[in-house]
Amino acid sequence: MTKIVVDGREVDVPADYTLLQACEAAGAEIPRFCFHERLSIAGNCRMCLVELKGAPKPVASCAWGVRDCRPGPNGEPPQVSTKSAVVKKARHGIMEFLLINHPLDCPICDQGGECDLQDQAMAFGVAGSRFHENKRAVEDKYIGPIVRTSMNRCIHCTRCVRFTSEVAGTGDMGAIGRGEDMEITTYLESSMGSELQGNVADLCPVGALLQKPAAFKARPWEMNKTQVVDVMDALGSNIRVDSRGREVLRILPRINDDVNEEWISDKTRHIVDGLKAQRLDRPYIRRDGRLTPASWAEAFAAIAAKVGATDPKRMGFIAGDLVSAEDMFAFKALADRLGSPNIDCRQDGSQLHPRHGRGSYLFNATVAGIERATSLLIVGSNPRRESPVLNARIRKRFLKGDFPIQVIGERADLTYDYDYLGAGTDTLKDLAATVEKAGERPMVIVGQGALTRRDGAAVLALAAKVAQGLGAVSEGWNGFSVLHTAASRVAGLDLGLVPGEGGLDALAMAEPGALDVVYLLGADEVAIGPGAFVVYQGSHGDRGAHRADVILPGAAYTEKAGLYVNTEGRVQQSDRAVFPPGEAREDWAILRALSDQLGARLPFDSYRALKAALQAAVPHFARVEHVVPATGDALGALAAVGGEVERSALRSPVADFYLTNPIARCSAVMAECSVLLAQGHMQQAAE
Amino acid sequence: MRLDLAAKQLFLSEFIGAFALSMRYFFKPKPTLNYPHEKNPQSPRFRGEHVLRRYPNGEERCIACKLCEAICPAQAITIEAGPRRNDGTRRTTRYDIDMVKCIYCGLCQEACPVDAIVEGPNMEFAVETREELLYDKAKLLANGDRWEREIQRNLKADAPYR
Amino acid sequence: MTDGASVSLWLKLLESVVFAALVLIYVAYILYADRKIWAAVQLRRGPNVVGPWGLLQSFADFAKFALKEPIIPAGANKGVFLLAPVVTGTLAISAFAVIPVNFGWAVANLNVGVLYLFAISSLGVYGVIMAGWASNSKYPFLSALRSAAQMVSYEVSIGFVLVTVLLCAGSLNLTDIVMAQDSGLGLVGWYWLPLLPMFVIFFISALAETNRSPFDLVEAESELVAGFMTEYSATPYVLFMLGEYVAIVSMCAIMSILFLGGWLSPIPFAPFTWVPGVIWFVLKTSFMFFLIAMVKAFVPRYRYDQLMRLGWKVFLPISLVYVVIVAGFLEITGMGGHLH
Repeated sequence: MTKIVVDGREVDVPADYTLLQACEAAGAEIPRFCFHERLSIAGNCRMCLVELKGAPKPVASCAWGVRDCRPGPNGEPPQVSTKSAVVKKARHGIMEFLLINHPLDCPICDQGGECDLQDQAMAFGVAGSRFHENKRAVEDKYIGPIVRTSMNRCIHCTRCVRFTSEVAGTGDMGAIGRGEDMEITTYLESSMGSELQGNVADLCPVGALLQKPAAFKARPWEMNKTQVVDVMDALGSNIRVDSRGREVLRILPRINDDVNEEWISDKTRHIVDGLKAQRLDRPYIRRDGRLTPASWAEAFAAIAAKVGATDPKRMGFIAGDLVSAEDMFAFKALADRLGSPNIDCRQDGSQLHPRHGRGSYLFNATVAGIERATSLLIVGSNPRRESPVLNARIRKRFLKGDFPIQVIGERADLTYDYDYLGAGTDTLKDLAATVEKAGERPMVIVGQGALTRRDGAAVLALAAKVAQGLGAVSEGWNGFSVLHTAASRVAGLDLGLVPGEGGLDALAMAEPGALDVVYLLGADEVAIGPGAFVVYQGSHGDRGAHRADVILPGAAYTEKAGLYVNTEGRVQQSDRAVFPPGEAREDWAILRALSDQLGARLPFDSYRALKAALQAAVPHFARVEHVVPATGDALGALAAVGGEVERSALRSPVADFYLTNPIARCSAVMAECSVLLAQGHMQQAAE
Repeated sequence: MRLDLAAKQLFLSEFIGAFALSMRYFFKPKPTLNYPHEKNPQSPRFRGEHVLRRYPNGEERCIACKLCEAICPAQAITIEAGPRRNDGTRRTTRYDIDMVKCIYCGLCQEACPVDAIVEGPNMEFAVETREELLYDKAKLLANGDRWEREIQRNLKADAPYR
Repeated sequence: MTDGASVSLWLKLLESVVFAALVLIYVAYILYADRKIWAAVQLRRGPNVVGPWGLLQSFADFAKFALKEPIIPAGANKGVFLLAPVVTGTLAISAFAVIPVNFGWAVANLNVGVLYLFAISSLGVYGVIMAGWASNSKYPFLSALRSAAQMVSYEVSIGFVLVTVLLCAGSLNLTDIVMAQDSGLGLVGWYWLPLLPMFVIFFISALAETNRSPFDLVEAESELVAGFMTEYSATPYVLFMLGEYVAIVSMCAIMSILFLGGWLSPIPFAPFTWVPGVIWFVLKTSFMFFLIAMVKAFVPRYRYDQLMRLGWKVFLPISLVYVVIVAGFLEITGMGGHLH
């Protein structure tokens, strides 16, 4: 700890702090543009100038370490002043310089109202300008379908450049030219290639980089902000949904250092238009082969008639990937009351099963724990496509160095260097035979590519054996980590949404003639064979709805409160941002109403009662925001399963990052991204 | 003193005085204007019916910055915005003023950075139904075309004081 | 009945109708004048849109009221409710039956004309009370109670004022009363001068009797909404309005007969004596109305207790004393010979 005096106030700060951090610790406010907590220090905006006693001129506090300050002649602690006339004059000058070439187009700028430059110009700037010459003009660049540019506004803070090269790892952006000719660009005006590119618009302190899909739609002050949990991947990114009236207008990240830091993927961010398209806003019943609009009463009556005439053993229940824990709890309660053993939450055929304990299906290392890991083995997963933000976390660890990464599965650009061991089960088998203890905290990520196979259980056992061999479980460390792709999966496994005694799993239920009635709760990734009467309850008219005989319109994740459990087992509460469209209702309420019609009334009448029942049934759901760690002995149980594995390559189930779920498939923005980015058709400069 | 009062009351002096005063007023010139035929002069700052203006080349001025919507103390303005289809510029897709809510404070025209929304000189826009007072963008633009000349004159007259 | 009697009856009827029509037209302009005078004192213009200078305003108002839908409250006693304005209107107009507008120009030259007028104007209170009770509403009812007390109070002093005039004229016949003022002195010879206090008392009591301002407590809008007329609309309302103004005009006519020499010329020589008496009569009546209208313009409304105090504790003693003085004076000088 080092003593330093800020504005006459002595504080004690760690020696590795920068002056800016020390000033903040002392309660002084330092304006800044280029400095960002999660990016490297550039020190090029000069807005954070402070006066340091003994220094010949003001110093950039973001780039000046506390340990670089010299003590006074008699050993007094260094003195920093953030409010002196010199600092004030310096700020005025810097602000005037920044505004020389910044256009006065705040009224048509989407950043207006949440713009760092606007705010700081008001707080630290002067009213007028002495610059009477022409402002410089820069052509707008095409940098992809997600981010819109307005390069006249750029103040060259290079946050976007540092983000793409450091966090995203794609290095798409850079600066060309010097002085007044400096321009931020993607060099050949190609699209950015990162799944995290939307974050550069958040980082941009001015309106130079903006969200293209949300262009001109709304102002920050007119939107209601709701804390929601993302369901696009199993990471459960913390997001803020901005809505106006009944409409979701944009999605922004919330800061949660344990989960997503402050990044979210483009799918999370730009799913917004998918929430409005192809919505199921009223019940439908298939009559004479065509889906026709119906009332709730008619739909319930149609279901009750069919269910009443069917043996419970011939009924099946499949929960989808975006469903909240409460909805699945109600769903399972309904199946139990009807007496059906056929229930499953693993519509992709994943072989994870709660019988081996929670530790067998959690991302035990935790997301934040990635930074503590000493080595990494990725089995059957492409984290960049399955969870880009988690991949950024791996890259963050990678950049710190001394982090060997090995991959078994697809050979893909993961934004970091790795040692490619092989493509398939053979490699895994060989590794299991030869593996030896590696490092202090080795980590093994097992992806769904390894588990959604018919021999998934055996592959899992092999992976567990490898992890055991690496010494992944030790005191205070459990490196065996399953990376899920479905937001609802961990909650489903926690709640036991797996086939009961003699029950069929999702893939078996989908076989033609296997069942007479299949109830899909937002399950769109499973194709039910002909013959069965399909009830689809969900929010979007996707695959499930096309196959359905009765459609019950449900709520999307922004339209209901609910608990979600992410891949590391963290229970998170999501709030309702808007109301479901038309006659659509919250899913648990539909299940509750339907249960009455089916003579199997569910014992909860409000969301609060349902949540209480859920938390009473599975206690760790009461520990919201926390990870209840699983015990490490699951690994041994898994390794003991054994079984024969087929000789084949492990392929990630996420072939197209942008189109993994029904909401994304209804989004025009995601479709465009898919065509331009995922399928490799990079847009060329329009010359 | 009481005698004074009694005499005053007996001879109704106050009534006579009041009568005389009333008669003086009776013959005074009357300030009333015959409204529809005669009108008071109007200040160039008069805040009447709203208009949305256009540039001389016919381009609508409004850029959907929503400052008027934000400042409106009665929350009478509703704007929805988006890129215009043909050129991608920032435009309103909807610009509604609820003239029933409006309190004619003039803050919208003060907030407008491009002088698009202006409270024009017109105050004679009485209508027969409430619905007619819910102005939409088309109505406001039509108003702008109708009152442009007067508004320009008023802006010019007021310019030296701004 | 003989043919001759029948013909004269028809003629009388025709005369009555024509006279009533003329009175109503006159009242229409009195209404107009009332509004104009009030407006002028308040520096307004008054009605000036319907017809030239707004001359047709009263007829437009009448047409408007006549065409409106009469609303009868659900709780009202329908019969009495509708009868009340008819009573008021009819009584007010029937007072004109005995009023001579020129020598011999009266529909009925009654010997007891003054008593008839007195009776008719007292009956006017019935319309108000019926309306107030039949409306089945608290403000009209309160208003009706006020009105009854007010009218009874001021009729007492009006009665004594009439007695002084009768003492002087020695007749109850209105024509005779006018003729008794024809002393050849013109303006100065009329009763207003010798009976000045009585004239003033009568004028003020007439205001109270007709519920005119400043004694319009019956319709004090700050206390009783619109008084007994609160529940009325359309034609019944217009009948009330009409009755009120006809009563005011009849009071003006009575005052010009009793104190201002009726149709006599104020200046008793040619060419003024050539002017038809009816014109003098109309001018005098109009002048009286002008005074009444001016009073409305400049006197604030009385409080109810002040009203009662004025009636009982000021006017009654003064008029009583004055009756005694006049009677004594006439007896001593022997000028009241007509009575004997």
